[in-house]
Amino acid sequence: MKRRIRIQNLGDARALILHRSHLTVQNLTRQLTAIGLSVTSVWPDPGADVLAADFVFFDADMGHDGQFPWAPGDSPMPMIALIGSEAPGRIEWALGVGAHAQILKPVGDSGVYSALLIARDAFDARRALSAEITDLRSRLDDRQTVVRAVTLLAARGQGEAEAYAQLRQMAMSWRISFEAAAKRIVARYADGEGKDGRRDRG
Amino acid sequence: MKRRVELGLLYSRSGSYALLSNACRDGALAAIAATNADPQTDISFVPVERDPAGNIDLYGPLCEQILRETSARHVIGCITSWSRKEVIPTLEKAGGTLWYATPYEGFEASDHVVYMHACPNQHLLPLLDWAFPRFGRRAYLTGSNYIWGWEINRLARETVTAVGGTVLGERYLPIGSLDVDRMIEEIRVTRPNFILNSLIGPSQYRFLAAYHALGQNDPHFRPETCPILSCNLTECELPAIGEAAEGLIAAGPYFHGMSQWSGPRNFGNSFEAAAYFAVCELARLLAGRASSEAESLAALLGTADQTCSIDPQTHHRTLPVLIAQVQGGVFRVQERRADAPGDPYLTRGQRPIVASPPVLKVVS
Repeated sequence: MKRRIRIQNLGDARALILHRSHLTVQNLTRQLTAIGLSVTSVWPDPGADVLAADFVFFDADMGHDGQFPWAPGDSPMPMIALIGSEAPGRIEWALGVGAHAQILKPVGDSGVYSALLIARDAFDARRALSAEITDLRSRLDDRQTVVRAVTLLAARGQGEAEAYAQLRQMAMSWRISFEAAAKRIVARYADGEGKDGRRDRG
Repeated sequence: MKRRVELGLLYSRSGSYALLSNACRDGALAAIAATNADPQTDISFVPVERDPAGNIDLYGPLCEQILRETSARHVIGCITSWSRKEVIPTLEKAGGTLWYATPYEGFEASDHVVYMHACPNQHLLPLLDWAFPRFGRRAYLTGSNYIWGWEINRLARETVTAVGGTVLGERYLPIGSLDVDRMIEEIRVTRPNFILNSLIGPSQYRFLAAYHALGQNDPHFRPETCPILSCNLTECELPAIGEAAEGLIAAGPYFHGMSQWSGPRNFGNSFEAAAYFAVCELARLLAGRASSEAESLAALLGTADQTCSIDPQTHHRTLPVLIAQVQGGVFRVQERRADAPGDPYLTRGQRPIVASPPVLKVVS
């Protein structure tokens, strides 16, 4: 499938440039303003303002750990590295911080627009992937619950396949996930069978 | 006492888009003559001309020649976006400025270019908005195979799809190719409501003639039911198109005889007008300050007063938005919309961001 980029919604977006005062900042600001973003630049401590930014441009040459108020790689917005020295150590650091795109210094007349779109796309993709992974993880964790629920249903006089189908039916009629339905079953029958459990909770 | 200021002219006087180049060149030369004759300004322009003759690989070197061998720091020139992108690195290196007097596809705001003609929020978007309720939302997209056609059609596809319309086909021809039969055949079979034409030069002329012939055989393919729309067609190409021009629709900031943009002065077409105003605007920016011609564009715009029409952030300008149709051999304005500031990245809010239609799935 052809990948479509979102070209809208850059208007009035806020960009924060984390770089010491320099021609690079001036040229970045010109390009960003022409595109329609509002720009603030700050060095070396971004303060809490960084959390309100829609895009962060950061200096990969002089940047250091502890500049950002979030765990490395866990920024709440797309991050664009400003790379002067292409030394492996600095690139490694920029990757560790969570760069979604990069621009080489010196910054001239162009490069910002493509960096914005590529960074946002990479950010969206990374975020969607990690949401999916979280979901899959929690379903993996619930595997044991599903097995217990099917066993409990099967113990009431039907085959395993029928019990599985019954659980799926329940999930659909309750409009909840398969795993959530399994949790309910386990809770209900565990209560029904083990009066101890209920007494403990009561 | 006038001071001599050399001014580069970089237009192809032959090749597939020579009619457009010559229209711009006429406008620039007329403005140079007017400036030089004007006792109110201390500027006297000396044109320095180079002719790439339609060869894309000559634009960069010839622009460099102007900037290196003469004192000119400003160049009026380029027709295609391709050639404009070729000269930008040269301008950047030499601190020069290009005054670009042609409609283009947007998504650029170089520190070294002034965009004097329209970009999509000033041509394509109002044109589609005007056409949808009149003709429908089933579109066929054509173009020459380079960035102008690609980007205009990409935006058109996005816009058509966003309002629930359909793109029935999208086809490109290499610049200069006359191989239009397949396009015409696809149009005949799909029967769209309108055709968006971003072909240039001889490809366009051949296509328009073939489509006109199609309309003779099948009345659906006539301007009343399935017109051809353009964002860059002006009077300067009508002689090359002949009788097939009847009914063509175009958007632009100026058509011959309109006074909104030009004041009392009359131009043959909007290319000529845009190049004319480029030279006049430059003369105003340079006037009255010795050696201002050596300053960068940013510095010049920094000194400009309120009367300067160029947006210092985007280097685009506010333009009239006119939609016109060829009737009886001349463009007649059908609708005039509010003047629009150039919004090259479509971020400045005049564009209604239309929500995508809901995606419905068949539930079994």
